[in-house]
Amino acid sequence: MPIYTSDASGSGKARSGLKAFGFVLLSVIVLYIPDPSQDQVASLLRGSLLRPFVLTQESLVRRRIHAEDTEVLQRRLDSLAAVIVNSNTLSEENTRLRSLLDLSERNPALYAPASVIRPGTPGSESMFMLDVGMRDGVSKDSPVIMGGGLLGKVREAQSTNSTAMDWTHPQFWAGAMTEDGVIYGFVEASPSRLREADRLLLNGIPFHQELEPGVALVTSGSGGVYPRGIPIGEVIEESDAREGWSRSYWLRPFVSPGEATHVQVLVSSGVEFTGANSWLEGRPVVPSPARESDEAAEDSPSTEVGTLR
Amino acid sequence: MVGFLILLHFGLHLSLGLGEAAPDFLVVALLIGAREVDIGWGAGLGFFLGILDDAFSVLAFGANAFAMTLVGMGGARTRELFVGDSLLFLTSYLVVGKWMRDLLHWVAAGEGLRESFVDTMLIQAPISAAYAGLVGLVVISISGLGWETVR
Repeated sequence: MPIYTSDASGSGKARSGLKAFGFVLLSVIVLYIPDPSQDQVASLLRGSLLRPFVLTQESLVRRRIHAEDTEVLQRRLDSLAAVIVNSNTLSEENTRLRSLLDLSERNPALYAPASVIRPGTPGSESMFMLDVGMRDGVSKDSPVIMGGGLLGKVREAQSTNSTAMDWTHPQFWAGAMTEDGVIYGFVEASPSRLREADRLLLNGIPFHQELEPGVALVTSGSGGVYPRGIPIGEVIEESDAREGWSRSYWLRPFVSPGEATHVQVLVSSGVEFTGANSWLEGRPVVPSPARESDEAAEDSPSTEVGTLR
Repeated sequence: MVGFLILLHFGLHLSLGLGEAAPDFLVVALLIGAREVDIGWGAGLGFFLGILDDAFSVLAFGANAFAMTLVGMGGARTRELFVGDSLLFLTSYLVVGKWMRDLLHWVAAGEGLRESFVDTMLIQAPISAAYAGLVGLVVISISGLGWETVR
């Protein structure tokens, strides 16, 4: 870049002004190019010039996760073990009933564990990066969940990493229903004046149906992005924003995006994930009847993605 | 110095994930760099730094590039408009430059995405501008960039 000298000549100033105008025009073009092209430019920059910074944060996040209090991890493991033990009877019952009704085996959902990387730059408030990508079976729109519920979805997947948005993003929406599957609606983000107070708005509830505060909402599976049954949040109160003969409710999400450091991404089936950090060392979260799962554990090394039924 | 500030910005914001806790070294780098070049290169530097910042922006891609281009252009122009390098001028230059960058970003982000003007531009932006101004003065004073007054 040439150092500025006081160029009094008109042609020099005109050239400089033209150059400046060109850059301003370019910045306006960048602002209005279609989303896919914007994603391509952003992806190129993230994968080249900014890659060293991203890798550094990935490494730091991994170290932080590994340094997490072992007592907390032990408590979580104990809770999961209790859930699994209590679910064995249900699992057996489910298998028996399915065989009685001649239903085929349900395909288990596959989840890839991932670390969350936050850019911390202006305009990136609702996005985060994941250290898993297409190689691990992640694709565009793959749902991202945390222990407590739905966090968001993948926006763009590359070979070894991906970018995702959380539920605070203005474009976020998901089909929702009550846990008993009686009342259906859809949730969308509702940014507040302070980002920390962001919450979800449940819309489209028929006027004759009411929800009490504290009622839990899960994904309904409508829309084809999020599978049915992922916890979203609980009702706080009814909102004033009524549209026609329907009601709206404020929801308190079960998951806070700021707390996300380690998440699970629902991946395409048929992809074998080779990461060692899988749920329950590759066993299903709700295992098959004890005899079968024991045999499976003996036969195969535990390198598969954690599974949910 | 400009290169070092760029590395520092992404090191603190991205690698360490400090976010708002770290000052906006990118705008400080731009405002310092723009004073040394003509408006064409000032705009070019602004565009380059802005598009780097936009790489992680899903809300309003291009808003940073637009804001930084205009700030870079304006920064280069101040050399012709304002003579002198007094402490008052430099402080105002850095603070106003950062506030203008936030204002332009707010405008370019679009109606559906931006937060309220009062919260963003009258509360958050002045604090962030003062922070960047203070950091900019420290950088200038210790780096020997040719601005005599603050050294």
